[in-house]
Amino acid sequence: MDETELYAMTKQMGQFMRRFNYEEDQFGYKINPKDPSYRNNEMRRKSLPILFDMEKYGSNPELQQYFIEDVTKDDSSYMTFLGGRWYSEVSTTFKYKGKDVQISLMLAVEKEGLGSKWVLTNVYFSEFNKMFPNGEIAEKEKHFLHPMSHELDFMNIYKAFKEPEVIEYYASGDYAPDYLTLFFYEIKKGTLVFQHVDAVKFHVFQIKDWYFEVSWFNRAGNNSGWLMSNIYYMPEKEKADLIKFYEP
Amino acid sequence: MKKILATLAIVLCFAGIAVAQDELSFERKQAIDSLALEKVRDLSKYIKIVGSKDTPYSEANRVIDRAEELFMSDAEIGVSSLHSNQIQYYRVRKYFERLMRLNYDRVEIEWYNIEYVSDLQRQPDGTYVGVITIFQTFRGYDAEGNMVYKDTTKKDITVYVKRKETQIGGRTIGFWDVLLGDMRVKETTNK
Repeated sequence: MDETELYAMTKQMGQFMRRFNYEEDQFGYKINPKDPSYRNNEMRRKSLPILFDMEKYGSNPELQQYFIEDVTKDDSSYMTFLGGRWYSEVSTTFKYKGKDVQISLMLAVEKEGLGSKWVLTNVYFSEFNKMFPNGEIAEKEKHFLHPMSHELDFMNIYKAFKEPEVIEYYASGDYAPDYLTLFFYEIKKGTLVFQHVDAVKFHVFQIKDWYFEVSWFNRAGNNSGWLMSNIYYMPEKEKADLIKFYEP
Repeated sequence: MKKILATLAIVLCFAGIAVAQDELSFERKQAIDSLALEKVRDLSKYIKIVGSKDTPYSEANRVIDRAEELFMSDAEIGVSSLHSNQIQYYRVRKYFERLMRLNYDRVEIEWYNIEYVSDLQRQPDGTYVGVITIFQTFRGYDAEGNMVYKDTTKKDITVYVKRKETQIGGRTIGFWDVLLGDMRVKETTNK
């Protein structure tokens, strides 16, 4: 049996992190943190290319080289399990009103008690998003309760409930729908029923000025397993908005 | 008897190590990895015995009992194939019983010489959790000796490691208790 491909495969997300940081050698053996080769940037430069989806980045090596040069420059660019700012996106199927629907669950590692656990941080379900569309500003401006409504015992408040589809226009400017609560509500009501997990991927924001996705590639050859599937140069200040999607 | 002596040796080997658990040293982690790997190797051995058509029914059942003892009582085995990502869930005994009843005249089960051990992470109650990945090739043959089915599966096995204490001859001895948890079985494209 040829085991080369299985050695090369990044078999676990934890192995992705260890390879990323060079905390294990090419045979998968853990390196003692006291060993000079542990997290050695020279070694990282050589080993990082195997963590890219080469079908996508093999023909476009510039971004890959730029990334590797950047993350091996200083000590700030290691991945850690408990370091925060990395999320799992779990694509799932639920039954909703008798039909199969796709829902993406966002999860993050949270410290608790003597250790840690994965927790739900957000959910993406198109039906929820349709309920809260980004309305046009001009339309939004037509819907409000004037500032003297209190003097009229809010006799005009019925207008807010006349058009349920835009009820949120009557909320504060800071209001943002909490999809996770909606999701829990539907689960508790029995309207949404879990069926199965379809796929898992990871979104990593830990590395300074970079954001990347890690996906599972089940394929033959020496470039398989958990690999970087999308990489974006993203200055830290631009990350906050995107992170809100995973952890509002 | 051999097994009891081996376990005792492991217990005593760890007895001298201080009980502080918050941060495991690199050396101690390696020792725990070895303990966990031993359990997984036992599991591999049991799968091979139960899967073999040469194993008598009573012997297979005895081995299934041993296999069950490796796992936490609520452990499940989640199986998916290349054709369907949907996971089928089995309790440990059911999984082994299915393996025993597979409708082939002869089966070959081979293990790749790759065992990947994750870092141990603590869960909120302090128990350490890790995952060991192993690979297996399965071949099923019909009565004419033709191979009619082949797959290579990746098996990700949860490992729970807990520090426990026991009394031996009036002395309190600390040891690491290792139990297997849920196992995910996924077909790979490697043939």
